[in-house]
Amino acid sequence: MSASVEPVPLPAPPLRQRRWVPVLVLAALMVGIVSGGYLTSDALGQAGGERVVVSSSVTVTALPGWELADRFRGPTGARLSKGSASLDVASLAFTGSPEGLLAAYVENILEPGAEQFRLSETVEGVVLDSGQVGARIAYVGLFGDVQAPIEGEVTAVVTPDGLGVIFDGWAPSGQLQFAIDDIRTMIRRAEIA
Amino acid sequence: MTGDPQLVRPPRTGWGRQTSLFQWRQPAFWLYAAIVLITAVYTVSQQQLFQELSPTGWALSWLLLLVYGLPLFLAIYLLDLYEREPLSLVFGALVWGAVAATVLAGIANAGWGLVVARIGGAAFAAEWTAALTAPFVEESLKVAGVILIYLIARDEMDDMMDGFVYGAMVGLGFALIEDVFYFIAIFGGTTGGVLAGFYVRVVSSGFYGHVLYTGLAGMGVAYFVSRRREASFGRRLAVAIGLFAAAVGGHFLWNSPWLNFFPANLNGPAEWLRIPLAAGVKGAPLLLFVVVMVNLARRRERTWLEAALRSEAGSPALSVAELRVLLNPPARRRSRREMRTRAGSGAERLLKRLQKEQINLAMVRTRSNLDDAPEVLRQRELCRSLRDALLAMPGAALAATGVEAPSGADAQAGADAER
Repeated sequence: MSASVEPVPLPAPPLRQRRWVPVLVLAALMVGIVSGGYLTSDALGQAGGERVVVSSSVTVTALPGWELADRFRGPTGARLSKGSASLDVASLAFTGSPEGLLAAYVENILEPGAEQFRLSETVEGVVLDSGQVGARIAYVGLFGDVQAPIEGEVTAVVTPDGLGVIFDGWAPSGQLQFAIDDIRTMIRRAEIA
Repeated sequence: MTGDPQLVRPPRTGWGRQTSLFQWRQPAFWLYAAIVLITAVYTVSQQQLFQELSPTGWALSWLLLLVYGLPLFLAIYLLDLYEREPLSLVFGALVWGAVAATVLAGIANAGWGLVVARIGGAAFAAEWTAALTAPFVEESLKVAGVILIYLIARDEMDDMMDGFVYGAMVGLGFALIEDVFYFIAIFGGTTGGVLAGFYVRVVSSGFYGHVLYTGLAGMGVAYFVSRRREASFGRRLAVAIGLFAAAVGGHFLWNSPWLNFFPANLNGPAEWLRIPLAAGVKGAPLLLFVVVMVNLARRRERTWLEAALRSEAGSPALSVAELRVLLNPPARRRSRREMRTRAGSGAERLLKRLQKEQINLAMVRTRSNLDDAPEVLRQRELCRSLRDALLAMPGAALAATGVEAPSGADAQAGADAER
């Protein structure tokens, strides 16, 4: 035995802070994935705030991010879009209740063009900022060649003068929940003469 | 046992260690916990909403998904024949997929959907958003869970099979929550709707979804982190990215309008029967690829076990015949069945314990550099005593289990069992 044996040097302690590096990188990547779409969309240009005249009697103010995507006739209407969510607004002559207009829209427009079509069981009452009342119902179904199911919410308003207005907010399934607040706000603020 | 030069590989130093999910000193654990806790608030509120909307449909959804999910969970968990992963980590992966990945993906998909729509327009977005957002977003967020599991317990991911198990568990959790959403929100939540949803999403296409995608991506992560000694950084990165791309590609094809042979309506039995065929067209190629990859990974695990136990074969802890049976899982099961027939269920349990401890001996050996390290000696002694106890049971020695003194005849019996 010799007392002069040199002690074996211990290995350097692990760099504890290095355990944070991959975690921080991973966290940053996840933040980028989750928020990147919104940031990119903003960078591509924010639309909205414009007043969209749907017909001579109906005007909708688009919220930020929403823009006029299309106009159509028979009945006269317009489509506002934000991402994969859309709000179709149409006005037509109609005498009857909002529930009646809702039923007519579902039977004549939605159901014929849909597969596996389902409606919510209850019709909800709606009051616009202008004081006009309407009826609202939710639906889901497959439309046309689009493979993803579409979720939607239809609101019908009928004025005492015999003007019926349909608001159909829709998006691919799972996406509507992120746009529904905007859609309801635009409907609530809609100006119906 | 032969001296196949292919088997001479450096032992996996981490094999056999068992680490829990709850690593309080690991930053990765706290990131995992924070994200899961925050997203759980949304998940719970969503499930409560579904329950209020359709109590019967919600309960039926979960009942059906348990019938599907439980066997699948066991199948994935038991797929790793030689080293089962710690249950806390396995459940951790499942919870990440079910809670964190689903919620984050929902938010992220909507954001990237805006980009698709702004670039392509509303009509294009309605048709292509699912294909252009979900595969990239969801696969990234799911594989982030596999990476977190690795960062929490680095020693546990020491082969591609481990990555598949963790990835598939993340995918299973994701699929279960997504299925409940579809059954209630898309298929209506009625009893008929839930059953229709179960037929379409589970019976017809349950083999092709998130379990496969994330299992594949998880194998890539495991390859990258476990092959440092064998492959260059570039090769490891290329394999990991390649497997992730395969997962994204499979998911993209599934969500895209391409090769879409699904019926436009479901008016008759022919349309219902067409659904599994249409699902097969989109999903079967990836399933085939994953089966091949998993088999390769399992073969590699067997090679590792063989290499670790080769020098033990013929010792009091492990006979040559036992090693042959040990390396062949069907032969292991057959040997236990035969043991039960000849010597009763007590002997069968003892044989099962012996086989488990012999596998543990391999794990202990890979951890120890010394042939006579105390833990190796202890494990050998445990195996020897279990063998002695088993052989002392009436009828046990007659069972063709390989649990006999090493001899040429025994070795042949083991080889026959392997075939």
